[in-house]
Amino acid sequence: MDGKIRGQLLKGTTTLLVLTVLRDGELYGYEIAQQVRERSGGAFAPSEGSLYPALHALEADGALEANWRLSDRGPRRRYYKITKSGLGMLDAHATEWAAFSTGMAKAVGGAK
Amino acid sequence: MILGAGALLLAAVLAIVILLPVGAIKLVRRSERRLNWQPNDDGRPDSEASPTQPHEVSAYLDRLTSTLSLPAADAAEVRAELADHIADSIESLEAEGLDREKAIRESLARLGSPTELGDQIRAAHQSTRRLLAGAGGGIFAAGGGFVIGYFTGFAIAIGVFLLGAACVGLLSLAGVRLFILEENQNSLINSLLIPTAFIFAAAYATRYAVRVCAGLSRRAPRSVAVFWASTSAIVFGIWAIFGLSGPMSWPAVVAYLCVPIVAFTAAFFRIERPLLHVSRNAVLAGIGGFLIVILGAGLLFAATGSAESGNTTLTTIAIAHTQGPTRGSLPPDAPAEWVPQGSIMGGGVRMADTGGDLYSAITDQQAPVSMATALTNWHDLRFEAWHWIVSSGPNDAFGADTRYSSPAVTLPAEVHPTWIQAIFHLDHLRDQGPWEVILTGIGPDGQRYEIADCGGGMNTQFHGSVWDWITAPL
Repeated sequence: MDGKIRGQLLKGTTTLLVLTVLRDGELYGYEIAQQVRERSGGAFAPSEGSLYPALHALEADGALEANWRLSDRGPRRRYYKITKSGLGMLDAHATEWAAFSTGMAKAVGGAK
Repeated sequence: MILGAGALLLAAVLAIVILLPVGAIKLVRRSERRLNWQPNDDGRPDSEASPTQPHEVSAYLDRLTSTLSLPAADAAEVRAELADHIADSIESLEAEGLDREKAIRESLARLGSPTELGDQIRAAHQSTRRLLAGAGGGIFAAGGGFVIGYFTGFAIAIGVFLLGAACVGLLSLAGVRLFILEENQNSLINSLLIPTAFIFAAAYATRYAVRVCAGLSRRAPRSVAVFWASTSAIVFGIWAIFGLSGPMSWPAVVAYLCVPIVAFTAAFFRIERPLLHVSRNAVLAGIGGFLIVILGAGLLFAATGSAESGNTTLTTIAIAHTQGPTRGSLPPDAPAEWVPQGSIMGGGVRMADTGGDLYSAITDQQAPVSMATALTNWHDLRFEAWHWIVSSGPNDAFGADTRYSSPAVTLPAEVHPTWIQAIFHLDHLRDQGPWEVILTGIGPDGQRYEIADCGGGMNTQFHGSVWDWITAPL
């Protein structure tokens, strides 16, 4: 898929992708980016420039908690953990995304 | 009912005096951990560049950090987090086969412009919700800081005045007399207490507000300082100039006018440094020291004051003036034939309810002369307050102050059936010093004469606001 089109399609999905990968456990920034890439088979990779503003905004909204601790690889990392409020936000985003993608599939399929 | 209202009032006062400052101090300390944190506090990393960090990465992070405008702790966290990310990214790209230079360039390119990234991260931190929390917390902290500053300023002012008085007392005991604590000097001290306390209160309020607002809204102190400096200068300036009323003097007016200036500069002065927080032991030591100073000064006052009053009494008795009172520009005494002997007697009394001084003249109760008869020869009756000189020695001049050619205040006499009167507000007269009130009138020959002396007072201590002082007649 063309990178420019993918970038436009991914706009607004960073929050959903971040919350989804954090549902399964605590991760730090670079790991989150890797997880998103791996889970989508390389199809999705949030822009690294947009990842950190999104993480910090989610933390400010109370959807994520962050704390510094030693990583498995040694040095300290800032780990993010989803909160109860974040889980609620994930459900809302997932439902909205499902409705959006279904509608989009129907619309695009109908156009063919 | 009254008891309940009293209890509520007491509870409100206690809440303001105790709970507000305590809450404000807690908020300030919490904010300062964010604003003035030390590296490695709370397990967080150092914000300084690592020596092993490539120069390009350090330069990128420097540019990013300069656009953040966040409290020190938040800025350091962002920097450290992104430094970790870049290091991981470089390592990963090198593992994929890129050489180090290319891996560094690619890693930084993936993050995009440092200024844009910095702006986006700053915007994520500085939400409207946090800004409102910062504003609310700032107002609360300003209230607490005001109370703390007011008491601190008051204690310092009292301490300084008492120390000064103690020094004067000690010198007096040793035979050295710098000055005698006269009525006017006490008035000056009275007038300076409140503005001194208010200056401290305004400064504390502003600094507390800046810190708490910055901490809660996640902004660098300097970025919120302009707002709080301006707001404090306006609010406290208006309050100091128009709202506060009390004993006034030129030094007090100057001190009050300093309030907005102090409030403004307090927001910026050494703003990056934490406030001075004193330990509990230091507070106890301060209170103990303050009590010792008060007790010591009290004892000295008791010792020197009694000796002083004894001297004064003796001096007063010993005065035998070698010359009569000066009349200056006072109207001449009324000829006896126009004032039946003892028919009009003057007097004055301070009116507690209005703050004014009531001066009146009545016919002598012992003399068979009615007020109508006593005033037959007179018209345009008025009371005049003249600046006066009180002598302290037999060769000193006393009487009307010859520097003045007209009375300080003139009021028409209100004529009542059995008395005439006027109410003076000499507490709105800026000149300090003794005064004397006389009743005057135009006699049959068209000249103005002094009909009766109504007595006077020792000084004209001005009471009012700074604005009253500025607009008061000279």
